[in-house]
Amino acid sequence: MKACIVVYPGSNCDRDVYHALKYVGVDVDYVGLDDSLDGCDLVVLPGGFSYGDYLRPGAVAAREKISHEVRRAADRGKLILGICNGFQILIEMGLLPGALLRNSSGRFVSKWVRLIVEDVDTPFTRNFKSREVIKLPVAHGYGRYFKTDSAIRVVFKYMDDVNGSDDMIAAVTTEDGRILGMMPHPERAYEKLLGGEDGLKLFTSVVEYLRRNAS
Amino acid sequence: MRYLNILKGKLGRDPDFVELHAFAVMWSEHCGYSHTAGYIRRLPKQGHHGNAGVVDLDGDFGLVFKVESHNHPSAVEPYNGAATGVGGIIRDVLAMGARPSAILDSLHMNSVIGGIIEGIADYGNSIGVPTVGGELRLSELYQHNPLVNVMAVGVAPHGNILPSKASKPGQVMVVFGGATGRDGIHGASFASEDLTGDKASKLSIQVGDPFAEKMLIEAFLRMNEEGLIDGAQDLGAGGVLSATAELVARGGLGAVVHLERLPLRESNMKPWEILISESQERMAVVTTKDRAERIIEIAKDHLLTAAVVAEVKADPTYRVFYGDKKIMEVPVQLLANAPEEPVSDYVPKDMPDFRKVDFKVVDAHTVFEQYDYMVGTDTVISPGLGPAVMRVKGDGGYSLLTHSRADLAVQDSYWGTFIAVLESVRKTLSVGAKPLAVTNCVNYGDPDADPTDLAAMMKALEDACRFANIPVASGNASLYNTYGGRAIPPTLVIGMVGRADPKKIVRPKPSNVYAVGWPDFDVEREKRLWEVIEYLSAKGAFVLAASSLVNVTHVKALRRLGLKLNVDVPRTEPAHQMVIVFADSVKTDVPVKKIGVLKWM
Repeated sequence: MKACIVVYPGSNCDRDVYHALKYVGVDVDYVGLDDSLDGCDLVVLPGGFSYGDYLRPGAVAAREKISHEVRRAADRGKLILGICNGFQILIEMGLLPGALLRNSSGRFVSKWVRLIVEDVDTPFTRNFKSREVIKLPVAHGYGRYFKTDSAIRVVFKYMDDVNGSDDMIAAVTTEDGRILGMMPHPERAYEKLLGGEDGLKLFTSVVEYLRRNAS
Repeated sequence: MRYLNILKGKLGRDPDFVELHAFAVMWSEHCGYSHTAGYIRRLPKQGHHGNAGVVDLDGDFGLVFKVESHNHPSAVEPYNGAATGVGGIIRDVLAMGARPSAILDSLHMNSVIGGIIEGIADYGNSIGVPTVGGELRLSELYQHNPLVNVMAVGVAPHGNILPSKASKPGQVMVVFGGATGRDGIHGASFASEDLTGDKASKLSIQVGDPFAEKMLIEAFLRMNEEGLIDGAQDLGAGGVLSATAELVARGGLGAVVHLERLPLRESNMKPWEILISESQERMAVVTTKDRAERIIEIAKDHLLTAAVVAEVKADPTYRVFYGDKKIMEVPVQLLANAPEEPVSDYVPKDMPDFRKVDFKVVDAHTVFEQYDYMVGTDTVISPGLGPAVMRVKGDGGYSLLTHSRADLAVQDSYWGTFIAVLESVRKTLSVGAKPLAVTNCVNYGDPDADPTDLAAMMKALEDACRFANIPVASGNASLYNTYGGRAIPPTLVIGMVGRADPKKIVRPKPSNVYAVGWPDFDVEREKRLWEVIEYLSAKGAFVLAASSLVNVTHVKALRRLGLKLNVDVPRTEPAHQMVIVFADSVKTDVPVKKIGVLKWM
């Protein structure tokens, strides 16, 4: 089982995801724009400011060569996780529905937020309890989820209004639950020392799912 | 004018047009430290390097850190002024070979200036270095001259730390990063003037490109990892001129610079403009000819421009060419060593009875929460409750803080500064850390009009650091913070780093709350208070060591942890020796009073 983290120019949570995945014992590789994703069971698009968020967050990255690889991995049913800027890229690629707009406050927001786990039937959330309340950090300027589709699978919702998202949506997934896009940062909450470890369950969920399916 | 005469004397002739521009930059207060060099020599120093200070963290790792001002640009163009302030100090730490791992700010302003906060936030957030706290002081005394001081810290194995100089003839200097444009020409001289001066225009302000900075960080670290760099300096004030001249000056060497090789983003730039442009996101590295190619390749891989722009020579002369045309030739040491102003000896007076000077109090979370303080997953304590504590993955950690007491210094600049250092020690001890070293930023009015308070501040810094037995490892000075001749209060910002053990960090939890110590100040008692803080913290008590004892930011920070504070805050003098202790009980021989409780909400 192997996880690959796509490093775009301007990604800045790539190393954080790396440490969190290592922490749960996953074999991890960084992947560049010209690399292949063959052999990756989990593809992570990390947070950051790919191409400085110039033009529109995620817009330039979504049109990079590696996107074809990400799409190919998606077609083959590999698991794909987009966090923050990675979520924005997945939306720009059209792999997830909706749009992410500037926060309703007009400002960047960085803090711990409370979330409700809405869907525990995805490979990413099977270790959570249904309707469980968890705490994860957010850090974004463009996190306001705008719904373009009424039939979407919502995975996490904010408990308090963080950025003006429709229906307080913090994370969505595809119909088959194999592509997850989320604004909160689970990789920042994998150890008590960092102020919380609710993010750990997301990584253990994926690992256990992949291990079971591999055997 | 006086400096012009000195220059004529040293050159033995009238300087020409290019030389005038070059010396105006290099001998500006911003680059030359004319008014503070004499004082800096007197400080108890350790770990002073060209770009930033370095102290040992744990035998394996060095802690690289420095605080710097970007006051003048932020007054004229808040957003870019503040943003490029972050960029500059980040590159100072990077140039030492360390990945920048934390940013703190120290802001003095009339009211929260959105553009300044956004400038710091957008830049720091984008480059992926967490802004983990700082201080926010609001007073009308800073109405025309906001102070934007930024501190950056980086961690690196000792073997990765780089010198800030060229070491032998035959080496070359590569400038890489963003392309060079006309922005920030004469930024250094503008930053050394009254803000009503004719240079106070937006043309002197640099424009920030955080994406280029992020790429520059990754490219530079890659080059260092591959062992390609012999020495480095960032291009800040004075651009190519200052970086290349200082690199060879420190090595006692000379240089030949070829300006036509610099990648430009504007056409028709004149050679002297290329020489002193302060375009951001650029770095100069010293290397050998055979390794330069790989450096250029790495820069290009990171979407940056790069070129070998200078050769290092044995002859200590600084020669600048544009094509075949020589445009300047001067002795390196003359260029790099600004004339020094005489220092005066300040004799401290008895501490006065301070009156309360009210700085407006606001919840600093409105600022912190625009900063990504968690990226990097090393932030152990969230902003709002005293010093930040960072872990070093693998093992160990450090504390860091910025602190100042301009409310006292405006009444007595010596004691205000002295107490700021002592309070910084208390804060460091309050998170169980051991103070390692200090960096400082002098923010001052016009030293030509009034040199006394500058002498007093520098004497206080020297005396307080000797008293605390803590060395000064780096520093920065911003003078001429005046508007229409009116000066800001003498404001010395202390940056302090300490050795911390993240595993032993005490977090607030429900407990009794005590006021420990004395409501007034007596220097004789200070070290007793330090022992008590150290002891209580080691015993598992959470300690708050703040000038204001308890303020709205503390209350809101505790609330974010789900805790409600119910206390009667004791009255104290503006200068006091009291800390707030959260514990079930406190046993000590210094005065203790129970003042309330902390409970789950």
